[in-house]
Amino acid sequence: MQSIISSYNYWIYILLMMIGLYAMLAKNNLVKKVIGMSIFQTAIIVFYVSTGAKEHATIPIIAHGHGAVEAAVDVAHYANPLPHVLMLTAIVVSVGTLGVALAICLGIHRRYNSLEEDEIQEQL
Amino acid sequence: MDIVVIVLTVIALLFFFATTVGLLRFPDFYSRMHAAGKGDTLSSLVILLALVLYNFHEINLANLLVAMKILLIAVFIFMASPTATHAIIDAGYESGIKPWAKKPEEESP
Amino acid sequence: MIWQLDLSILTLIVICAFATIMVKDLLSAAIIFGAYSFLMCLLWTEMGAVDVAFTEASVGAGVSTVLFFAAVHQTTRRVRTRKSGRMLAKVFALMAALLTGLVLIIAETDFPGFASPFTPASLHLSPYYITQSLHDTNVPNIVTSVLADYRGFDTMFETAVIFTAGLAVIAILRRYKRDDRCDLPEPYVISEGYPDTIIRFIARQLAPFIQLFALYVVAHGHHSPGGGFQGGVILGASFILLAISYDSRMIIGIMSERLNILLGNIGVLIYAGIGFLCLLLGANFLDYSVLSKVLPATDKIMARSHGMLGIEIGVAIAVMAIVISIYLNIISHGKYDKG
Repeated sequence: MQSIISSYNYWIYILLMMIGLYAMLAKNNLVKKVIGMSIFQTAIIVFYVSTGAKEHATIPIIAHGHGAVEAAVDVAHYANPLPHVLMLTAIVVSVGTLGVALAICLGIHRRYNSLEEDEIQEQL
Repeated sequence: MDIVVIVLTVIALLFFFATTVGLLRFPDFYSRMHAAGKGDTLSSLVILLALVLYNFHEINLANLLVAMKILLIAVFIFMASPTATHAIIDAGYESGIKPWAKKPEEESP
Repeated sequence: MIWQLDLSILTLIVICAFATIMVKDLLSAAIIFGAYSFLMCLLWTEMGAVDVAFTEASVGAGVSTVLFFAAVHQTTRRVRTRKSGRMLAKVFALMAALLTGLVLIIAETDFPGFASPFTPASLHLSPYYITQSLHDTNVPNIVTSVLADYRGFDTMFETAVIFTAGLAVIAILRRYKRDDRCDLPEPYVISEGYPDTIIRFIARQLAPFIQLFALYVVAHGHHSPGGGFQGGVILGASFILLAISYDSRMIIGIMSERLNILLGNIGVLIYAGIGFLCLLLGANFLDYSVLSKVLPATDKIMARSHGMLGIEIGVAIAVMAIVISIYLNIISHGKYDKG
């Protein structure tokens, strides 16, 4: 029971990922599938960001006053910046992917006059 | 000074609560948007005022800069949020949503 | 890192995710998706990831929602319900999702506890970045210094990916007047928005402030959360605001397709150009410390800081142009005449 209490957050991230995966597989509408893809991407991002969080740690911007001399920087005082950098790239790439996915949806709608998957499969 | 901040935050939360209740309980699109637009803007402004006052634990230049930035955010919210409400209500009017009219009371037997 | 706040925001996020995929109306799904993105942004701020939260606020809760709206506006709005016939596929999808979830849960028992400073992710490389970044590059924002200097190669290809996405949207959707010989039906409805004085006035007043704030975000990214991507997206969003409140023909007059592609190119070129300049001056690709030979009155450490500012400007220009281009392509269905 102790392990469940201490790692509840990983369970919720996995739940979010599975919601996105289910939406991508089971939903009929193409735009709903794209929304599922976005939910999946953001759930993965929140998982990575959470591995960089530290208790009683502040944001990874080194405190500097106006003209203050550099003090010794304590590592455990700042949140881990490496996952933040990777996830910045992931968010920007995800918005590019979203634009292209919506453009493909529009192209399919123009050609087949429907956004439902089974109607499109009948017309193929 | 802390008491003032706490009182302002509680007032803002009360306004937010009233906005949400209005959003759920009003019978018509227009009255719901009325509640949402006004209550939202007012509650945001009161919360920002509370944050500005909380910031002034010590009066120095850095805190003054932060307070000015928060006040600028308040100005922009005051300009943008009612315009957004106006845009939504306009879109509803153009789509032809009819205002709710009180139905005449039926004759009691 | 307050776990009560964590848990409450996570609960709301899960409710929003369920609601987004269950609603029948696509426009409502887009709005709830905007709320989901905003709650994610709050969660990341609470975990201490302010740069990521800033990017998600501008990109996810801003531009993504607008793109969904633009796409749904061009096509049908309601999801057609079907009584049966898909039950087998739904059951299979549920089993697949549950199986994957089970495998992931078995894997996560090996994970370290939440928010401890001794996770393996925080022990090997990141202490070097945290302790040495201010000394090496004179930039207090560690995320910006890692993104633009220590891992600058990744960021260059990320900008190239954005540019490629813009090109892909143009390749998929763009139709020119001379190609309209094909007689596919035109199922979409282009509605002319009627001019509204209040919205146009406020948009006109707010747009210069939004752009000024975007430039501030790009330039101040060394000392506060921000940087090239966030500033570029906010710049693009100001143009989208003007395009929504006015007619998009006005924005196409200002930022035509040729200018958009040119600006996207220039952005990537600035980035790669600074890298090549470092090569020409005799050091490695994207090694900014040799720029002190070219820039007046800087030493090696400040040259790294200025090099980072240069590539952030390049990234901002590229991202702004591509965001505007993707929006204009989707809203006018490739024809660039109305919207």
